Amino acid sequence: MGDLTVLPEPPSLPREFARALLTFGRDGVDGEIPGTLVQTTTTVDRDRLMDHQRLCGFKVNDTLPPTYPHLLGFPLQVHLMGSADFPLPMLGMVHVSNEITVHRELHVDDELTLQVGAEAMRPHAKGVTVDLVAAVTVAGELAWESRSTYLHRCTPPSDAEDPDPVEAAMPEPPAVPAGPAAAVWKLPADLGRRYAGVAGDINPIHLHPWTAKAMGFPRAIAHGMWTYSRTLAALGADGIGTSRVWFRKPVLLPGRVALHVAEDHRTAALASPKDPDRIHLVLTHQAL
Amino acid sequence: MTDTYTQFVNSGFGRSLAKQLGLPAPVPLRRHTKGGPLCDGPVAVIGEGEHVSDIVQLLLDHGIDTSTDAETYGGVVFDMSDARSPRDLAHMRENGADIVKRLGRNARIVVVGTDPDLLDAPAEVATQRALDGFVRSLAKELRSGATANLVYAPVEHNRPAVRSAVEFFLSGRSAFVDGQHVRLDENTPGVNLSADEPLAGKVAVVTGAARGIGAAIVEVLARDGATVVGVDVPAAQDALAKVVNRARGTSLALDVTAPDAGERILQHCHKRHGGFDIVVHNAGITRDKLFVNMSAEKWDQVMAVNLESILQLNEVFLGDEGLGTDGRVICLSSQSGFAGNRGQTNYSATKAGVIGLVDTTADIAADRGITVNAVAPGLIETEMTGRMPFATREVARRLSSLQQGGDPVDVAEAIAWLAQPASGAITGQTLRVCGQNFIGA
Amino acid sequence: MTNMPRKVAIVGGNRTPFARSNTAYRRASNQDLLTAALDGLIARFGLAGKRLGQVTAGAVMKHSRDFNLTRESVLATALDPATPGIDIQMACGTGLEAATTVANKIALGQIDAGVAGGSDTTSDAPIAVNEGLRRVLLDLGAAKTAAQRAKALAGLRPGHISPVLPATDEPRTGLSMGEHMARTALAFDVTRAEQDAIAAASHQKLAAAYERGFFDDLITPYLGLTQDNNLRPDSNAEKLAGLRTVFGDPETATMTAGNSTPLTDGASTVLLASTEWAEEHNLDPLAWFVDAETAAVDFVHGDEGLLMAPTHAVPRLLARHDLGLDDFDRVEIHEAFAATVACTLKAWESDTYCRDTLGLDGALGSIDPEKINVNGSSLAAGHPFAATGGRILAATAKELNELKQREGGTRRALISICAAGGQGVAAIVEA
Repeated sequence: MGDLTVLPEPPSLPREFARALLTFGRDGVDGEIPGTLVQTTTTVDRDRLMDHQRLCGFKVNDTLPPTYPHLLGFPLQVHLMGSADFPLPMLGMVHVSNEITVHRELHVDDELTLQVGAEAMRPHAKGVTVDLVAAVTVAGELAWESRSTYLHRCTPPSDAEDPDPVEAAMPEPPAVPAGPAAAVWKLPADLGRRYAGVAGDINPIHLHPWTAKAMGFPRAIAHGMWTYSRTLAALGADGIGTSRVWFRKPVLLPGRVALHVAEDHRTAALASPKDPDRIHLVLTHQAL
Repeated sequence: MTDTYTQFVNSGFGRSLAKQLGLPAPVPLRRHTKGGPLCDGPVAVIGEGEHVSDIVQLLLDHGIDTSTDAETYGGVVFDMSDARSPRDLAHMRENGADIVKRLGRNARIVVVGTDPDLLDAPAEVATQRALDGFVRSLAKELRSGATANLVYAPVEHNRPAVRSAVEFFLSGRSAFVDGQHVRLDENTPGVNLSADEPLAGKVAVVTGAARGIGAAIVEVLARDGATVVGVDVPAAQDALAKVVNRARGTSLALDVTAPDAGERILQHCHKRHGGFDIVVHNAGITRDKLFVNMSAEKWDQVMAVNLESILQLNEVFLGDEGLGTDGRVICLSSQSGFAGNRGQTNYSATKAGVIGLVDTTADIAADRGITVNAVAPGLIETEMTGRMPFATREVARRLSSLQQGGDPVDVAEAIAWLAQPASGAITGQTLRVCGQNFIGA
Repeated sequence: MTNMPRKVAIVGGNRTPFARSNTAYRRASNQDLLTAALDGLIARFGLAGKRLGQVTAGAVMKHSRDFNLTRESVLATALDPATPGIDIQMACGTGLEAATTVANKIALGQIDAGVAGGSDTTSDAPIAVNEGLRRVLLDLGAAKTAAQRAKALAGLRPGHISPVLPATDEPRTGLSMGEHMARTALAFDVTRAEQDAIAAASHQKLAAAYERGFFDDLITPYLGLTQDNNLRPDSNAEKLAGLRTVFGDPETATMTAGNSTPLTDGASTVLLASTEWAEEHNLDPLAWFVDAETAAVDFVHGDEGLLMAPTHAVPRLLARHDLGLDDFDRVEIHEAFAATVACTLKAWESDTYCRDTLGLDGALGSIDPEKINVNGSSLAAGHPFAATGGRILAATAKELNELKQREGGTRRALISICAAGGQGVAAIVEA
């Protein structure tokens, strides 16, 4: 318990994915989340950063978008979920919500120490959720942290006995902003492949209609982290502060999504342009 | 904003690990938001000192309930300014202990005393000095993000100064200031033009403004209504542009160690903003190395940026063309200036130097109505950082009463408070923003 | 309205460092670069949240999707979104022509303040499909029936795959700019040594300007670059003499990569304003934008050099103000090639050229080399086409301002920029 695995460099994502695929069929809902923390040190590749900024609509410069460190920590998440003692199968897990806090802006020349850990499972209406928490420190100072909540679909644990009176990691989302769309975005069919190329998240549900169909989706779906990033960029929310996102209906590719923004510019939602009740995500951002 | 550890130990696994290690569980700190309440819940005012009515009025102005029969309290203020014998201190235990027991999350304890340096009789000095030890210990007993701080008032009544200090320590602005005291002098402070924007109409210069704490200082000063001039080296102008454009300020490219730096800042402020009121000497660098391996370059660079530049700039800022009445000079010290830090002989020397610098400069600037203070952020572990295992480092981080690390915003909030017109009775002091870090406490 | 035209102040400028093509900015677009240059300008002059009369800028190598390049850049900055953004294009003259447009509107009282700028990247240049494929695709789009679509697709040929890369060749002559320049250099008997001397001096002067902090308030770093990466401070005539010639007949060639500008990426901006606006915003003008003249030559049918249009623009501009070349303290001649500067100077010194080509009574005169391009120019800094005008204008205004502060009196500078298509722009700046 409480082991720390220090990796000399970020692990190779394809290899980690291959390892994680072997977790297929696991269903250790009653198992325990291992207490291992994975740590590594990394620097930022400017080309990749710029590709990410452009693809997500952030300004192309030397400051890391709030969502960028997530992409750096993702291989560690996969490493953790692919480890032998992780009770749930990684394949098919659904990213249901995320919270990111930027304490101080990160720059391309910062040397980042990344730490990723997993937290206890919580019962969910459609199964169980597990949180992957990540932190970035620079020269010993906490600069960035994130909590990603993933859902493993299964029969919810029947024993109503609450394993631990853990407070919900995220508050309930606010109401979807009313009124006409601030923007309608046309998302190309290859968006999933392009984002996968930058982020390394090659989950088949994002890549191609065929691979997505194999996973039970009618078409390929956009990466949640892309929709999160794109919405933050639209709000101009690229500085210090906390943002939270609640993912709802997947965004099918190709497709169109409508951006709705509240008057105070702190809450936004993505919805279907044709059916405003079909919500893809709700997002809040609290700057200073 | 909450740190990972906070979430970590609030989780099932984290909690059990924390228990095993005997680690306390921190709570997310209550920080200032524009238009937010001063305190969460009622605040009891205890004591019979001369400040009681003013403090009650302050709370009423903020719409805070001051009744003494609440279930949970948002805070308690002890006015012990009239205590003159050790026996008087018992009043706090008798009337306060029960209320302290009923403090809610992120509650505040503020003790108002009388500056012992201004008293003569041994019993009086001992009594007032005792408050400091009391507050430091009480702060360590508090849980759930609560803080305790001490305000030393002058013998002569200085009502607006006491009001401003009590207000700060009750508010979310002081989230990471714990177990500290400030001394108020007899000078009647200025008046904040607006409660929402206490720095409205003020022009502030922030050095080293492009990144980290400097960027947070710019943001908080601008939020509080100041027009900010961000200063940083030419090579940092892209990051600086982002910071000042968000704050709607102006950028100035210069190296604070340049011989003409002061003159150029002065010119910029006079030409562009008709003068300036606040200077935050934030520019600082670290060049860590064990003393025996320290190169001349590492030593000299740190001295030049962290200490010599401040002395040189102050010469200009405190000159005839410099800061006017109600001017504010605020320096950045560091906990390592108090406690030292392995590998940081050069850095700690400069940060201790800053403490002496503000003490003396305050005297020189006093007759012009300018205050000079420093803020000392908590210790940041060096040398081992990045290689230190998570748990060890996190335990180190827990070595503070608030059981968590501070945020750049916390340092910025303390600076913004010292910059207020209403803070004019505070000078020559170094305020620590460290969550009562046990190192060098 | 009274007192028109008004004086136009050059308040200051900002640019990105310039980067050789496919280096530091290989992934930056024109919009990224222009936005970065604007961001630095806005921070320096406290323009966040302010509405300006207009921002006029352009790019020479431009994607069709960037039809509103300037407006999109404005929207990405902290400027009041009610600031209009206008695109303009005049090849290498874009920046100075943009400044002229903005200045004229200020002079006429139509606006009070505006930004002129330009951005170019050859790293992110638009690549077009070749003409055959374009035709097929257009036919396909117009097709209404399956048969028509099949017919359109039947027009596809393997050769259609090769894309059309942008080039700096002149459409009417098929010659590159370098080849045109080589012809003119030969006609004016410009030697290799003369050109290499100009190039070496450009590098040395630009390096010296950086060294003394001249660019501290003219440049904002971008993507890790803090100064122009084409700059070779240790450049000298001996090193340059070792380079192979690249343009013209090998027998007579004198032009090398060292005395020609490389393809470069970057953006520049200049803030122009009326006296009143500058005063209101507590800004001291660096200098005044006095006047400008645009000219063109017939390089297709006539025997004029492609890059010689400024030799026409300048005497017309001088005549309008009753000035001679001697009346200028500083002269900026854009170094498209070292030979451009040499040919321009030789042309003005030549009785024959001035009489026969420019229609003057005799030689326009010579210029003291000490006054020319004193802080280096395009050979050292590089030449992102549309960004060069802004670079020169802001630096010249600052240079004049420093000169005036040092030595007093009214100080005057002449700027001359040649452009593709046989065009050129010249301007007078005063401090």
